[in-house]
Amino acid sequence: MSHTLLVWLVGGVLLVGAGFATTLLPRWRARGREQRTAWSTARAAIDSAAVSRDAVTTRVPEAERLLAHAEAIAAGRGGASAARAAAEHAREADRLWRTHQ
Amino acid sequence: MADAPVTPRRHHGRELLRWALLGIAVVVLVVFLLAQRQSVDVSYGRSPAATAKIDEGSAGELSDAGVPSVAEMTALVAAEPVVRLPGSTARWNEQRVREAAGDQPVRILVAPPGLDEDERKRVRDVKNATVRVIGTEVSGGIYQAVPDTLPGWRAQFATADVTGLLVGLIAALRDAPDPPEHDELRWRDPTERELTAVAADLRATGLHLGAGATLTGVPGDAARNAFGDGARYVALPAQPFGEPVPRYGPALAELFPGTPIVVMYGLWIEYHGPAADDFAELAGASFYGQFGDRLSRYDYPQGNVLTAYLNRVTDLRYSGLFDRPLPYRPIDPLRVALPALPWLFAGCVATFLILSVRSLRRPDGLGIRRGDPGRGGTPARLAGLTALAVEMSLLTDARSDPALTRGIVKLQAARAALDEELPDHHARTLFNEAAEELDDAARTLGIASYRPDLYLRGRLS
Repeated sequence: MSHTLLVWLVGGVLLVGAGFATTLLPRWRARGREQRTAWSTARAAIDSAAVSRDAVTTRVPEAERLLAHAEAIAAGRGGASAARAAAEHAREADRLWRTHQ
Repeated sequence: MADAPVTPRRHHGRELLRWALLGIAVVVLVVFLLAQRQSVDVSYGRSPAATAKIDEGSAGELSDAGVPSVAEMTALVAAEPVVRLPGSTARWNEQRVREAAGDQPVRILVAPPGLDEDERKRVRDVKNATVRVIGTEVSGGIYQAVPDTLPGWRAQFATADVTGLLVGLIAALRDAPDPPEHDELRWRDPTERELTAVAADLRATGLHLGAGATLTGVPGDAARNAFGDGARYVALPAQPFGEPVPRYGPALAELFPGTPIVVMYGLWIEYHGPAADDFAELAGASFYGQFGDRLSRYDYPQGNVLTAYLNRVTDLRYSGLFDRPLPYRPIDPLRVALPALPWLFAGCVATFLILSVRSLRRPDGLGIRRGDPGRGGTPARLAGLTALAVEMSLLTDARSDPALTRGIVKLQAARAALDEELPDHHARTLFNEAAEELDDAARTLGIASYRPDLYLRGRLS
């Protein structure tokens, strides 16, 4: 009886574990990918803004402040929302510099 | 990729199988848990014998006899050493009881059987009686004497003989050693006339009722269960004490070979016939061991006692003893399946786990899909846009430079996204942004053929 009891117990634990794994693992993966995607976007925006900054002759303090802010956020690393905020700041800075071209 | 391409339909089928297996595992677990219910209802092979539960008075065990008040009985006992209340049946060998008592005064109060609880209490309240006999239940002081052998029960129930019990009880009250057992019952062979009369009845109806027997008929169901092929029954009243008892059993077994024969003397039941050697003793001992106490106290009709005895016989038969085939029992599928359930469960769990791991290993459905069949694929677009940027870089000037550089930066980001296996739509967004920048640069340069749409179309066609 004891070995069959073990089968029930271990089987039940495995089932519950499999349930958690199949639910949580894809969720973690999706979150990780979303984060990496957001940071990829943010980096592209920051690089793009840096190019725009180098291209203008005049100084645009507001844009510089925004870009510095975006870079600070990027340096601190963080979640997807931080990446989105950084991307937003960088895009805004990029827009400001382009209008001063 | 070593894995064969997984078509959506196959994937769907596998997912369905996965959840079906989980469902089966849960059902198996529930069945197992429900089967764990413990039952106290133990029966020999699901014997159909009725359960022997008896309430006082429900089986006609109470007689009409009553007892006088405690004061009257106390006065009676004080006047006489042995008081027999009207209706009492117990008899004993006075010589042996006197010898057992020795020089001690022993006062015996004998009450009839079948008294109710209240009347029995009144009898017990008669303090000056050394020994009380209610029916054939013998008690005195803190003791109660009960027989524990078949001859003991036979004497008690066939002839209402309580000699052995009285002797034993008095010895116990005097702290004397137990006296040797001595069976008072004497057998005699039945006369030719008696045997002929009984045999004629048995041939005609299978039942002989002696004058004075309280049996009225054979209990149908109980008899059918106990002796499926039929049996013959002889019911005689309790035999007078001190006279030899006619021994019908062996004589009838000779007359009716191969037929079970049940002989009742009062409340004493004997079995003769097939398998009597290993059967009769067990049935009798287990029956009287359990019910002897009640039978001695009460005045049961013979029919009820016979029913209970036949139920006991049925239980013994269904216990599978005596090499008798058990009646057919349909197989309980749960009992058959129960040992296999854990392994079925384990199999379901294992397959579920394997399928789960597979489903985790394969990348999520809407993720990266290399080689979009629609527009030449993402790598092709990367290559095309990169080539365009390289060509443009030869002709670029200060005005178009920033846009071109931004385009290249975006292309690099897109390439990194592809390398990191980020979602396709993200890479596409970056490509679109890069294409927009290059488009901007081309327009600034004033070279229409460098506009990405036109350039790519020309290149790829």
